Amino acid sequence: MRHSVVTQITTLALVILSLAACSTSTTIDEFREARLDLELSDSEQVVVMGRRHAGEYETEPDFIDCIGNRLASGGKVSVMPEQQFLDSFYPWFEPRVAPLKLKRMGMMLNDPLIAERINSLSIRYLIWVDGRTETTEKSGSVNCALALGGGGCFGFASWDKTASYEATVWDLKQLDEEGRVKVSTEGSSYVLAVVAPIPFIAQVQDNACKGIGDRLKGFFSHVEPGRSKRN
Amino acid sequence: MTICRATRYHRLVLLLASVLTGACSTDIIIHGDYPSALTRQLPHHVGLVLDDTFTHYTFESSQEQDVTMALGESQTALFSQIFGDIFKSATRLNTINQTLTSKVDLVVVPHIEEVQLAMPFETRLNVFEVWLKYNLQVFDSEGEPIADWLMTSYGKTQSRLLTSEEEALNQATTEALRDAGVRLVIGFHRVPEIRDWLASQQTPGTLAQGDSQ
Repeated sequence: MRHSVVTQITTLALVILSLAACSTSTTIDEFREARLDLELSDSEQVVVMGRRHAGEYETEPDFIDCIGNRLASGGKVSVMPEQQFLDSFYPWFEPRVAPLKLKRMGMMLNDPLIAERINSLSIRYLIWVDGRTETTEKSGSVNCALALGGGGCFGFASWDKTASYEATVWDLKQLDEEGRVKVSTEGSSYVLAVVAPIPFIAQVQDNACKGIGDRLKGFFSHVEPGRSKRN
Repeated sequence: MTICRATRYHRLVLLLASVLTGACSTDIIIHGDYPSALTRQLPHHVGLVLDDTFTHYTFESSQEQDVTMALGESQTALFSQIFGDIFKSATRLNTINQTLTSKVDLVVVPHIEEVQLAMPFETRLNVFEVWLKYNLQVFDSEGEPIADWLMTSYGKTQSRLLTSEEEALNQATTEALRDAGVRLVIGFHRVPEIRDWLASQQTPGTLAQGDSQ
């Protein structure tokens, strides 16, 4: 009877912990230059690029891939992979020389070599994503031991993560900034080890990707496959 | 019997020692793909002298951790690619003496001067970093020196995304080589002595792209 109560309490604690651990909070700010959706013909492409000019951090390539996949899902928006774009324009978008401002982008587009390549690849929008995911706080520890008779882990560890990113949309045809999306996601993860470690991981970066990707997708929400528009 | 046991014991110790030594060393060959540069070609024929010290260059370090990094093949691929893109035509030469028999306008002899690594166990950061320093000696067709250009490049990677130390170092080094390509495309014709030489060869309009930087 007593054993059953302990099991129930432990199960309940694990459920509460897992629910709390898996929760994340996301804040999204969006700014658009115009209320209208963005023009994008079926032949035109969008590129999502990470900012990597800062010394202390760089926007993670897998996060950029995630946003690109999110944007492309549904088949309305054609997204060129970041690496393919970087290789096609090497060395003009490498971290050392990539344009940080639209004015500089305009100067680059004045060069027929770069402008022709942009046109031949039908690249209409460049979306710059700047930010990172970082661990802000850690506590506790998990210790594991192995002996002849067996082994196990005991302990409790937790950590908080914060993902903070800002996406800026450049229209290369109009040479204009079309909007910004800022996302901030926080979440706590835990590892509870009683013989075997049981992780409860908060999907901080994934949620940030969903938040920013879906909002960016909203910029092109009226795009129909095979149609050009500005409704 | 005792001798046999002693031999076995020595072999075991040797095996253990070699495993432990191997566990603390990193031995890699750098592999990287470098794209063609989008640049306006200079109308000259360049001779690129890549001697054995360059093409077979291996960096070795024994500070705290043994690292052996063969980057000769990869840097040879990068320099051949970039100089082929910058100039109308490029001929690869093994020694500087070959320039006398080759009809070239300009001769470039790159040397790797220094390689620096920063690994997580040194910096306590979750990042691998690589710095490369090159010296590019530039001569005219008569063998007269035009310029000595010291060029540095940098590459880094996040270790948490990578499966091994070798992969991390390979990625950081190819990033550094890619950065060296950026410096070559954008900076080579801006070196004052080279710029003067190009101007003396009357090649108007060829620098437009680089000058927009």
